[in-house]
Amino acid sequence: MAFTPNTRSPRSLPMKFKDYYAILGVARTASEDEIKKAYRNLARKYHPDVSKDPEGEEKFKDAAEAYATLKDAEKRAAYDRLGSHSAGEEFQPSQDWGDQFKTQFGDGGGPGASSFDGIDLSDLFASFSRGGGGRGGMGGAERAHTPRPIPGEDYDVTALITLEEAYSGTTVGLNLSVPTVDERGQMKRESRVLEARIPKGATAGQRLRLRGQGSKGFNGGRDGDVYLNIALRPHPLYRVDGHDLYIDLPLAPWEAALGTTVVVPTLAGRVNLKVAAAINSGQQLRLAKRGLPKPGGGEGDLFAVVKIVMPPELSEREQTLFKELADASTFNPRSSLLDEAHHVH
Amino acid sequence: MYIESHNVLWLDATQPATINDLVALSGLVEEEVCELVFAGALVPSNYPQVPWIFSADCVVTVRKASRLRDDLELDSHALALTLQLLEQVRTLEAELSKLRAQRPAFGMRD
Repeated sequence: MAFTPNTRSPRSLPMKFKDYYAILGVARTASEDEIKKAYRNLARKYHPDVSKDPEGEEKFKDAAEAYATLKDAEKRAAYDRLGSHSAGEEFQPSQDWGDQFKTQFGDGGGPGASSFDGIDLSDLFASFSRGGGGRGGMGGAERAHTPRPIPGEDYDVTALITLEEAYSGTTVGLNLSVPTVDERGQMKRESRVLEARIPKGATAGQRLRLRGQGSKGFNGGRDGDVYLNIALRPHPLYRVDGHDLYIDLPLAPWEAALGTTVVVPTLAGRVNLKVAAAINSGQQLRLAKRGLPKPGGGEGDLFAVVKIVMPPELSEREQTLFKELADASTFNPRSSLLDEAHHVH
Repeated sequence: MYIESHNVLWLDATQPATINDLVALSGLVEEEVCELVFAGALVPSNYPQVPWIFSADCVVTVRKASRLRDDLELDSHALALTLQLLEQVRTLEAELSKLRAQRPAFGMRD
């Protein structure tokens, strides 16, 4: 691909150096096997499909980017010729480098010419295999006339929403970094906000596919998709299982004993719930169709989980009444324990 | 920077998907999808009838398979085993999450 002379824009950002060897934890003299072994160790540890590390995805991306360059002899030679810099240091590939390694971003357009601005190292080395014209690689004049369709990138994004948003549906803004081709035919990354409507019916772990909303395909390749993984923020009242909700229902001991009617908050407003007499802690009272709506229609249920709560302090009168109850009652809640112990011995 | 708005498709057990859909969306070839089925890592909803029909949540599985194959350089046997183990982990985590949801939060808001 021909290099287009470029007047550097004052708004364009310089490239930042990444130490691929340090990322993989190997020496610059590491063999191919050592590089592969180091990458595999990091991939097993940080791959987003197997890792629970919240920073795993970023660490894996760094390792994959480093490995994609260092496993390829041509790219590794080009990377090594960039010299040693500190990680994060701003730098520009030299004119000599641009002459020697013909990526799509620069093949020596003359003194002062540079088209490396606004790209990062991964874009630079990805261009070696994208028909950029790397020496002896996939590029070349013939290839330029018969471009291979390249599908657009897919994106996997987690959307963290509240339970109330899941209940009524919501719109989320997703920040994507997408590759685009500018007016000079150069591939750059551009920040893009995708406004995605999440219809009601979402719950934790559900996936949505936004067809064709990833990055654009090249040379007739299909546009990429965006895959949304729904995650729910913890709620102060409700716990979630699929489309069912659970809420603790605190009851005073006498309410549990005698039965009562209580007001329970639901996502659609308050409802009255009749509690039968003699209910125990942990028992669940079902409020049908008061859970989250389902994508195909219908609703989950809301379960009120009984939790018998003692007053923090008993007044003298309460103590007296409880003592009277203790004297009057023959109930032994531990009789099953004693019976079981008798059988064991 | 620009903004777009559009509709979405649910990837759940109620939406059907063909083997061509799975191939197109995952980057796997048809033979690889078949191997996942034969290994038990992917189950068509109408198995053993043919042609196979999958539920749309299988799209998530085959895309994961494609990433694992490429990123961890797994062969088909290792890939099927990895997917089965990950599914076991997912099932256990879902069960744990369910039990935690059902359990009263004793001591948390007393």
